[in-house]
Amino acid sequence: MIDKLKGLAFPALVFWLLCLVINSFMGYEMPSIIGKLTLALVFGSLIFYIFKMRLFSYITQRVLESAFTLFAIATLTFLLLRVLPGGPFDQEKTLPPEVMANIAKKYNLDAPMYVQYFDYMKGVVTFDFGESYKYIGRPITDILVESIPASIELGIYSLILAFLMGIPSGVIAASKHNKFGDRILMFFAISGVALPVFVVAPALILLFCYKLGWLPAALWSGPQYYILPVLALGTRPAATIARLTRASVLEVIASDYIRTARSKGLSNSVVLFKHVLKNSLIPVLTYSGPLVAGLLSGSFVVELIFAIPGMAKHFVQSVSNRDYPLIMGVTLLYSALLIISNLIVDILYSYFDPRIQLS
Amino acid sequence: MKLGLMLMIVGALFASSCTKKQSTQYGLKNEETLKINITTEPPSLDWSKSTDTTSALIQDNIMEGMVEYNFEDPDLGLKPALAKEWNSTNKAQTWTFTLRDNVKWNDGVPFTAQHIVDGWERLLNPTTASEYAYFLYGVKNASKYSRGEIKDFSQVGVKVNKKGQLVVELEGPQSYFPYLLTHHCTYPIRLDVIKKFGEKWTSPENIVTLGAYNLKIWEHDKAIVLERNDSYYSTPAKTKNILAYMIPQVSTAITLFETGKIDVQANLPSAELKVLKKKKEYKESGILSLYYYGMNTKKPPFDNINVRKAVAHAIDRKEITTMLDGGQRPMTSWVPPGMFGFDSNKGAKFDPSKAKEFLAKAGFKDPSKLPKIDLAYNTNEDHKRIAENVQAQLKRNLGITVEIKNEEWKSYLGKLKSDTPHIYRMGWVADFPDPDNFLNLMTSYSDNNHTNWGNNAFDDLIKRAVSVDKKDDRRELYAKAQQILTEDEVPVIPIYSGVSHILVNERVKNYPMNVMGRRKFKGVVLK
Amino acid sequence: MTTAALSQPSKSLWQDSLARLKKNKSAMYSLYFIVFVCIVALFAKYIAPYSYETQNMDAILEGPSAKYWLGTDSLGRDQLSRLIFGARMSMAVAVFTAILSLVIGSIYGAVSGWFGGVTDRVMMRVVDILYSIPTLVLLILMKVIFDSLDIFENPELKALTSILVALSLAGWVTLARVVRGQVLQAKQMLYVEAARSLGAKPIWILARHVIPNIMGPVIILLTLQVPSNILFESFLSFLGLGLQPPFSSWGVLANEGWSLMKSYPHLIISPSVAMALTLFAFSYFGDGLRDAFDPKMRGRV
Repeated sequence: MIDKLKGLAFPALVFWLLCLVINSFMGYEMPSIIGKLTLALVFGSLIFYIFKMRLFSYITQRVLESAFTLFAIATLTFLLLRVLPGGPFDQEKTLPPEVMANIAKKYNLDAPMYVQYFDYMKGVVTFDFGESYKYIGRPITDILVESIPASIELGIYSLILAFLMGIPSGVIAASKHNKFGDRILMFFAISGVALPVFVVAPALILLFCYKLGWLPAALWSGPQYYILPVLALGTRPAATIARLTRASVLEVIASDYIRTARSKGLSNSVVLFKHVLKNSLIPVLTYSGPLVAGLLSGSFVVELIFAIPGMAKHFVQSVSNRDYPLIMGVTLLYSALLIISNLIVDILYSYFDPRIQLS
Repeated sequence: MKLGLMLMIVGALFASSCTKKQSTQYGLKNEETLKINITTEPPSLDWSKSTDTTSALIQDNIMEGMVEYNFEDPDLGLKPALAKEWNSTNKAQTWTFTLRDNVKWNDGVPFTAQHIVDGWERLLNPTTASEYAYFLYGVKNASKYSRGEIKDFSQVGVKVNKKGQLVVELEGPQSYFPYLLTHHCTYPIRLDVIKKFGEKWTSPENIVTLGAYNLKIWEHDKAIVLERNDSYYSTPAKTKNILAYMIPQVSTAITLFETGKIDVQANLPSAELKVLKKKKEYKESGILSLYYYGMNTKKPPFDNINVRKAVAHAIDRKEITTMLDGGQRPMTSWVPPGMFGFDSNKGAKFDPSKAKEFLAKAGFKDPSKLPKIDLAYNTNEDHKRIAENVQAQLKRNLGITVEIKNEEWKSYLGKLKSDTPHIYRMGWVADFPDPDNFLNLMTSYSDNNHTNWGNNAFDDLIKRAVSVDKKDDRRELYAKAQQILTEDEVPVIPIYSGVSHILVNERVKNYPMNVMGRRKFKGVVLK
Repeated sequence: MTTAALSQPSKSLWQDSLARLKKNKSAMYSLYFIVFVCIVALFAKYIAPYSYETQNMDAILEGPSAKYWLGTDSLGRDQLSRLIFGARMSMAVAVFTAILSLVIGSIYGAVSGWFGGVTDRVMMRVVDILYSIPTLVLLILMKVIFDSLDIFENPELKALTSILVALSLAGWVTLARVVRGQVLQAKQMLYVEAARSLGAKPIWILARHVIPNIMGPVIILLTLQVPSNILFESFLSFLGLGLQPPFSSWGVLANEGWSLMKSYPHLIISPSVAMALTLFAFSYFGDGLRDAFDPKMRGRV
């Protein structure tokens, strides 16, 4: 039963992601019931798995640990921000002391450090991260809620690109180890990591928007606007995944049980995609934890170059502006994302390789 | 796996080719929409609180002050806006403004002088904590109110008299006072609206304004749409819509400009000007501003006046402006061209042999005996280019080695406050077109003077000049002050006076270009 | 440590691997290229036609010519010379950072993985925390600290140190994770179990058995890390936390060139080509090394 479910869940996920792409790039609205069913299948099997393997105590433990980690991150960041040189209201035209005093009072910056700290922590517990210093009067939660969708959209498409391109090409390259196919695929994979995004992205714009005029350059408003940013953001992880997959598939191919499977006369592709791939996904999974968190929280350079209203710029600009509440907000959000995706990855470890035991 | 494959095929079959399109133009007609790039999200449209130029650009178009610049006037005078006329009595210490009576806010409420008083009260109120509160510190008791020493606003020198006129009483004479009223922080405000909506009063559905345009759409980090205000008191705006995108990256924006997606792009990269200048869409105009290097006069060897003079004489400003190639004007004096008091004869002129003499006089005949010298700037391609050029010039013309220190912006500001480097770069853009705004900068009591230099004679001249009525007398006082600043004492080295560079599509006529960098679009015509 | 560890098991293994590496053409050409770049970097002073800081105001932003083979930058400096001197900084950053983060990362990861249990969990949570703290904040603080310490007289070294430390601190975390995973796996292996039951000291087992056996993935990761260090250094310049001018690195050059791509393509092409070639070389050489030293590949030349 569990094996069947597991067998279904993976293709279902791929199917759902494909539908998502079709949905937004080709404009076809998929009957929502199909989408819901596939998602239900994916999550259902995961939850069923957790239930079956009695992972609840493990998950509770991890969640508790995460709460502590988040607390430590918040505290440490809070302290580091206060020793950072330059204050949030320093600017080219220096403000007179009386104006500074009013501002400090308004934002509670004149209170002793521990008071500020406790006030802030009280807010965090109730999901109130305060108001931005830079975007005067705007609550941090509003800023994040408004900027998350664009980043998530960009992130999901880039992830799809990364996995759907990276894993198959890694497997194929490994199966043709040191032959022509391998060389050509790895050439592309290395090219994918060879240049910084800030060189690739403007080059894409120059080619496709300026010279050819096929695609719009910037202003995130519809599927045709997604293509270049997704290419710019997704190629690098795709290439890394391809190289990781290739390396680990190579190791698995050499192992005894695959030789056995082969000697049993199973066809090459069945062996490759069923037995080998399943056992080589562990390093890719390890890499995926931070990757998912990283891509979903966006990329500063890509958002900058393609003028995407996402949240990644806040990671950089809030620090440049010394916008303390916003820095804390994005840091905690990113940490939460990272912790959740690492947790899912850890569960998936044992999902893919039952020999790995979670405790 | 087979099942997965089947599912995928089924999924692919579902796909049809009808493309759903979202518009980047918000359904606005191209021929009646001016498309500009404001680079970033305006931090706030609350005109009592915002301090940046992006917010100011939007505010200047949806709101209006009592007076506005008359850019056709070569002396840069003022012309009436919400105020019909104004005059001063008591040696420019009391000002009376007669307001128009036909002005309505865009929700139909008539505009009165009380709205101005409300705006000023809010600006000065300590709980508002506005960064620009100091703009009105010239008004009687304003700074005391802002400090919380006076709780009763009626003691502050701004009142509405029986005739409905606004009467302002100042702490002392201030000949340039009306110029302050062109700034958005002095605009009138509707307290009832702010009370009703709280911090969200600046969103398009809540905001109440009286300028030539209404705020129609504000999509954070993406675009702002302004629409002509049909109940505007004066000639209505010629172009119906302003669509302001927020495209941070210049190279992307230039591509969009060249493909006709935007009509105007300002902030061109200086290194690319050589190419962009050849375009017929290219325009440039001077800005009342100054780019300068300051020196920490307490840090050896710059505590030695002759070292400062040597460095000031050793920098060829012309070489820098030629390199920048954007029409910047090399400067040795302090007050920028285009402003009253400009005097290009003042200052330490480029003269390597004189520079070497000064260095020898300072006791450093052998330049390698000099202690290590830091030259600091904040991260920016132009600052970097200039710093690297100055470094090379000092090496070539004076034989001294300086070490460049590049700092991230806020760290840089922190450093200027706590431990000013030997040489640092800074800039100043006019708040109002009066030399006082520039020279006041270097007084010993100025918060913006990071040089640790102070000179009583200089301070006196600046204080005296504000209250002098006769233009020629004032000019003479400012000439003396500049003599002290840039020739006798040399705590600063002026480099150049700035220029704004801009690409404007040929279909746009009357695009506002002026020395104050103000962008009011009501006169823009689209062909 | 690594060569000693590898050469000890048997001489033939070491020679065997070397022989396999030598037969791998792409790996060898890559090695030659890396050596070439290193030589150019070391002798930049004698090879470069001009200095990296000599400005020529009459030749600003010129395209390639007989006088300036790769054109000039926005200050009229020779792009070729800046590229050659840039190799020095970039290679130093890339290689030293990789070594530093390798040392810190593998020690941390190995300890965490080897002891397991509570030690492992605490150490991994520390990694989580370090991973989540805004990098930019750390980088700015690092720069402030190093600026105030002022250890080196040599400006070139001074410019390098804070970047080196910043990059290593950012890099070791990933390596620690991977090494820990590999050690966890290796711990289960038979020969380690055997050594353990014989009462060998953990450090000895780690050095003798575990570390040589996790070389493969670590080499791959390092070859990914070296180029990403070069790229990260360029991102630092982009944020103003990188190398102090007038020093040049490929990152600095790429950063100066990318926004002028349309008008002055020569500024971005040369550092890009240099970076890409170096990266290809490191990747192919890394692959070759991996293949050559992979215990599972033994005997399959």
